Amino acid sequence: MLVLLAGIFLLHLTSIILLLAATIDNAWWMTKTVSTDVWARWILANVTWSSNDLPGNYPHEYLQAVQASSILACIFSSLGLFVFVGQLFTLSKGQRFTFSGIFQLLACLCIMIAASIYTDIFHKNESDGWYGHSFILAWISFAFTFISSIIYFVLRKKTAN
Amino acid sequence: MLTILALASVVLLGIVPQQSEAIVIYTGWERHALVGSDIRLSCSFFSWRWTSDDVTFSWSYRADGARDAISIFHYTGGAPYLDNKGPFRDRLEFVGNPGRRDGSILLKNLDYGDNGTFTCDAKNPPDIVGRASSVRLLVFEKVPIQAGVITGSIIGAVLGLLLLIVVIYYLMRFLVARRVFNLSVSKHGKKGKGKEGSQQRQASPLVVDPSKLKAAASEKKKQESRKDKK
Repeated sequence: MLVLLAGIFLLHLTSIILLLAATIDNAWWMTKTVSTDVWARWILANVTWSSNDLPGNYPHEYLQAVQASSILACIFSSLGLFVFVGQLFTLSKGQRFTFSGIFQLLACLCIMIAASIYTDIFHKNESDGWYGHSFILAWISFAFTFISSIIYFVLRKKTAN
Repeated sequence: MLTILALASVVLLGIVPQQSEAIVIYTGWERHALVGSDIRLSCSFFSWRWTSDDVTFSWSYRADGARDAISIFHYTGGAPYLDNKGPFRDRLEFVGNPGRRDGSILLKNLDYGDNGTFTCDAKNPPDIVGRASSVRLLVFEKVPIQAGVITGSIIGAVLGLLLLIVVIYYLMRFLVARRVFNLSVSKHGKKGKGKEGSQQRQASPLVVDPSKLKAAASEKKKQESRKDKK
């Protein structure tokens, strides 16, 4: 039972870390000299990287929607961790971790919204370049948070504290 | 004791300016404006000295892409001197109050050529050592929404909605529990009134009953949970 609990906790923690990496790091789209994202654009000039503002032709409502929903996903996932620990001590026997599951599901929804908007709106016609690690981590954390929320909805408290 | 403290603080405040006599000038950082509108560029300063009669304010302007700055406004000897030859002739107005350390100017009828950096330099003799402060003017056809406003409002709205839902959920639970409790009290009350004729001493227990009922209910819950644990 303890091993299962530790595994679930680790899964949740991993999803938080992946979400933070996807949100904070400016690497959703990369080319040989550019690493750009939802906050700033890194441009390689000779040997040094310099941080620049995102180009003005970005549709800024969509950009801010991606920013907002990825931040919300991080917030929900972190709150969900605290809720899970709290529910661990306050739930009575046989009950489900619905609250934690709801938070993880919200986080999953938010990061899905962020990644989908980014996939559909930005860099659609640029052929030179590839999706960077933040983008990939965003989709991976979508999968992790989804699995995590399913586990919370299915798990029952076996022993009372 | 208090008087000693007050005297000490006054003496200290008097001593400190001897060492740090820099004047600190405050302007904005960046200003956005629409073409054709007016804008007020504010400039004020902080100085340990009283505002002297020889206080001076000086505004200079460096256009975007230009190398040098030109002087466009100077206030000295109690009188303002406005630009009458440069790009701002007839468009400048002094709206500040030097007595209150305010050296703001008003720029009228802005144009795209007014994009640039405005620097305010104020001197309050003998407090003259300080760094001039600059404000950047950006002229737009349509003022864009600042970066982060939409982001912040989306986050705030979703979190606020979540908080509202949680509060409503707990409120509903509390109200339902109170309703159930009121129903059980009224039932208990009816039973007690039937026996009132024979046992009047038990009238006061009816008043104390609500708290006892709650205690009994929680006791029952505790017993049930203990049974569950076993």
